[in-house]
Formats: sequence, structure tokens, C-alpha cells
Amino acid sequence: MNPSLCRKLPLVIAAAAALALPLVVTSPTYLHILILLYLYAYLTTSWNIVGGFAGVLPLGHATFVGIGAYTSTVLSLQYGISPWIGMLVGALLSSLVGVLIGLPTFKMRGAYFALATIAFAEGIRVMVENIDYLGPFQLNGPRGLQIPPLKTGLASFMFATKEPYYYIILVMLAGVIALTYAISRSKLGYYLVAGGEEPEAAQALGVNVARAKLIAMAMSSFLTAFAGTFWAQFTLYIHPKSVMSLDISFEIAFIALIGGRGSIAGPLLGALLLRPVGDFSRIYFGDKLPGLHLIIFGVVLILVMLYQPRGLQEPLTRIYNRAMDRMCGGREAAA
Amino acid sequence: MLFIIEDTINGILMGSIYGLAALGLTLIFGVLKVINFAHGSMLMVGMYAAYWAALLTGLHPYLTLVIVVPAMFLFGYLLQDVLIKPIFKAEKDVREPITVIIVTTGLWYILDNLSLLIFGPQYRTIPDNPLRGQMLEFGDMMISVPKLWGFCAAIVTALMVYAFLQKTRMGRAVRATSLDRDAASLQGINQYKIYNVAFGIGTAVAGVAGVALVPFYNIFPSVGVLFDIKCFIIVVLGGLGSIGGALLGGMIVGVIESVGPQFMTATWTEAIVYGLFLVFLFLKPSGLFGVKYDW
Repeated sequence: MNPSLCRKLPLVIAAAAALALPLVVTSPTYLHILILLYLYAYLTTSWNIVGGFAGVLPLGHATFVGIGAYTSTVLSLQYGISPWIGMLVGALLSSLVGVLIGLPTFKMRGAYFALATIAFAEGIRVMVENIDYLGPFQLNGPRGLQIPPLKTGLASFMFATKEPYYYIILVMLAGVIALTYAISRSKLGYYLVAGGEEPEAAQALGVNVARAKLIAMAMSSFLTAFAGTFWAQFTLYIHPKSVMSLDISFEIAFIALIGGRGSIAGPLLGALLLRPVGDFSRIYFGDKLPGLHLIIFGVVLILVMLYQPRGLQEPLTRIYNRAMDRMCGGREAAA
Repeated sequence: MLFIIEDTINGILMGSIYGLAALGLTLIFGVLKVINFAHGSMLMVGMYAAYWAALLTGLHPYLTLVIVVPAMFLFGYLLQDVLIKPIFKAEKDVREPITVIIVTTGLWYILDNLSLLIFGPQYRTIPDNPLRGQMLEFGDMMISVPKLWGFCAAIVTALMVYAFLQKTRMGRAVRATSLDRDAASLQGINQYKIYNVAFGIGTAVAGVAGVALVPFYNIFPSVGVLFDIKCFIIVVLGGLGSIGGALLGGMIVGVIESVGPQFMTATWTEAIVYGLFLVFLFLKPSGLFGVKYDW
């Protein structure tokens, strides 16, 4: 077989398996777990555009989830606008907020950037919790918004079963992975990596680091808002703690860091490893050992940081490549 | 008018305890140039330590200091030695390794959930607490006695830390390392030992804050989260690395929180504190007393 085709084979098999999975997995509980796994893989891949490639540590991405969720929900509840259009409006609004947050914060070094993003996210959450009406828009403060399940169907982004949600989030995930792949191969990707690792050197070579970071932030917050709309349509109930809490921001960062930030496989791998641990420990030990999965996350995070600072994708990619070399012939043949 | 004065005084007292909690954080930052995200969890550990010490030995809550402070110092010393030192060794040329933030965040999750696992989610208070609800009355004004003691603890601790840094040989070594870790190493100072000591002292100070809080505050596993973000805000307001700044920053936050509800819904004060924090971060990132620093 053609070596380069042979190398692509596992990816094709994985994609086919993901497409066929709902035929095998029919239990709504497991589908729910899978959907949330893809959702977090999506969120983390979007986060990775700024948190991975640009080498900063944003810890407030839940804000963008919340903006996406609230925008599409308010528009559909109050004005009858389709959530699909609301999704786009929310994403535009979110990327605007992302740029406004990025403008002053990207000048700061590491720790201050992380703190500033936390403060922004928590500040916005507290405000939403205190606002019943934002101008003409009803937000309902801490009580949140309920979406009445009136008419199901693709046009209203609302379904009685979980399978359609599964395929929507799968397509979203595939799209965002393709996009990050394109970014990592583009000039912008190289600018980001250069600016993240050696800002002074990159600046000296004529790279506009600040501009590259802002573009990355705009894209990342745009894509993250999509997940917010999906979340709202999937659960049909949103409130500030459910879509804007610090826990979401931290979980995204944890998944990226354990999987390996700045790589394409990292966020996927992280979500594949961490989400099931969280879900199953909640199902089986939730009442007796609450918070067990968070202890596991913490321990894994520390071990990875100490022994595999580039994340688990690094050793696994190495193993994968070696296996591929053995199966498909050497790398020279592939090139 | 009177209630505003009363609220201001109580805000200053409570704020000084926030400042005390933030003091440990600012000290660790000043020397290691890293932010310890697990600092709130350290406070939580300090509160549980004080609680159990008071419960098991029957000591007066404030006398648990003799147990809590050395135990917390040791805890911080060992944590830094085992978990954070390897990062500094691996990333020698990085001035403020971001990996430390990540590792301490992991530690935060571990400690909070471990205490949930061991002690359960219920709120605890010290039984037969001699200080609970005690008030000093000045005419129509009521001042909380345990908060007043907390204020005293904050001032005394700040003075002691200051004296340690200024007057002792070890303190001089800590300041030298804080100014320039490489130059300090060249003078024969073991920078990693200094980091251990600074982290130990920072954690011990969190223990003092825990003891000060225990007589009038509920103890529960996620109590640290309430203080964590507050401490970040306070140290940036006061200037990272500044002892006086931590106390003043704490008092500012305390006064906003206690006077604010007279004019608005109580939850809005939280948003104001975040706003103030961001204003400082953008306009004067070195804070009220911080040294000018390359941000």
C-alpha cells in the first residue's frame, strides 16, 4: 500500500468509528457522556489556539461559553430568532469581548495575564448574576433561562433524542480540529509560537506579536461561544453558574495541559483521558467519595507537569509514529 | 451616619484578616516570583488544623497557634521542596515559571477535595467557643471582638515578618534572593533553601490567618476558594511583594465589602472589587506600594 495512505488509515478508521458509534452505543447515559467528551474536546481545542499556540495561560474561557449560550438563548426566547443565527451573533459578540479583554492583558507577563482573565471572567459572571434585565434583554440573574422544548427539528436546534446532538458536536469538533491544523501550518501559527516562546526575538524579526495574539484570541473566543450555544440547546437550561463558572475555565485548561498544549492531538487526548475518569467516578463514587475525580485530575496534572511538561501527547505521538513506521515502512518512504 | 462608621470599622478589621491571608501570598511572590494558586487551600488547611487542635486538646482557639504555626511552616517547607523545587531546577533561566501556577492549581484541587473526602461537606464551628458572637459596644456601635483580635494578629504578624526580613541574617538572605537570585547564589546563598523557608513562612502566615478566622467563621472544604481570588486581588492592589500593601489592600477590600451593601445589593460589591482590581492591573500594575517591575 502507498505509505502516506497507510499512515492516514488509522485516522480514517477513528473517524468512521466516531460516526458509527451511536449505532452501537444506544444508552442515553453513555451518549450523554460522549457528547460532553466531544464538547470539552471542542472547547479545549478552541482554547488551544490562544492558550497553546500563543503560550499564555487564559483561565477565563467560561465567559465566552456564557456569552454564546446567553446570546442565542435570549434571541430565540425573546425574538424568536433561530439559535443557529443566535449562535453566530453570540460568536461575534464573544470575539469582540475577547479582543477587548486581550487588548490590555496581552501586554502582561504570565501570571498577571492568568489573574486578569480570571478577574474578567468572574467579574462578568457576578454581573450576570445580578442583572435581571440588560437593557431590553431578560437575563433573569441567578435563576437563569429555561428554553421550552416546543418544536423539535434541525431548524430550531432542538431534538428529542441525543443522536442529532452527537453528530452536531462531532461535526463542530472535526471543523475546529481542521481549523487548528490549518492555523498551525499558517504564518499566523508560526507568529504565535515565535511570540509565545521568545517575544523579544520575534519582535526583532518584525513579527507583530501583539496583533497575532489578538487574532488568536478573537478566533478562540469566537469558536468557544459556539460551544455555549450548543450547551444551551443541549441542556435547555442555562444559569450563570452552569455556563460561566470558573470550574469550566479550569477544566478546559487542565485538559489542555495534561493532553499537551500547543499540539493538535493534546486537547483530544486530554478530553479522552479526563472526561471518562470524571464521569465514571461521579457515577460510581459520587455519593461516597465526592470530588475523587478532582483529586485524580490534580495528581495527574502535577505528575505530568513534573515529568512530561509538554503533555501526554508527546510520548504517545512518539509511540504512534514508531508503530506507523513499522507498519507502513520508514518515514523516508512516506515523504 | 453612625452605621457607616460602624461598617467602616468592621470592614477594616475583617479586611486586615484578608490582608493577613494575603501576606503569605505576597511574601512567597516577593521571593519566588511565582503566584501560589493553592494559597487559599493553605488557609483552609490552617483553619482545619486550628479546629482539630482546639477540639482535641481543648486549648483556647487562639492558643492553637503554638501547634498550627510550626505545623504549617513544615507543610509549606516540604511542599516547596518536593513539588516546586524540581520546576525551578528544570526551568533555571525562566524568571517566573508559569508551570508553578499550574502545579499549585493542581495542589489546590487535591487539597480542597481531599478535605471534602476526609471531613465531609458540612460547615463546622468550634463547640463551646468562648469568643463566638462577642461584641464590644461603643454607644450604639457594635465591634466584633474576634475580628478585633484578628486585626491585632495581622499587625503583629506583619511586624514580625518585617523584623525577620530586616534584622536577621536569614532575612537578609531572603531579601538578597528576592532581588537577584543569581547574584545571591554567587554570594554563597542556597537559593533553594531560601525558597523553602519563604514558602514555609508564607504558609505559616496563612495558618495564623486560619487561627484568626476560626472563632467566628465557618470551616468547610472549599472555604479557601472564597479567600483565594480575594488574596490575588489584594496583593495586586497593594503591590506584589509588599507587606504593608497586602494589609492596606486587604482593608480596602474589607471596607468595600462591608460599607457597599448600604448603597447597593450585597452581591454587587463583589463586581466592584473585581472592577477595582482590573483598573489597578491596567493602570498601575505595580499596585499601591509595589516596586516598579517589568510587566
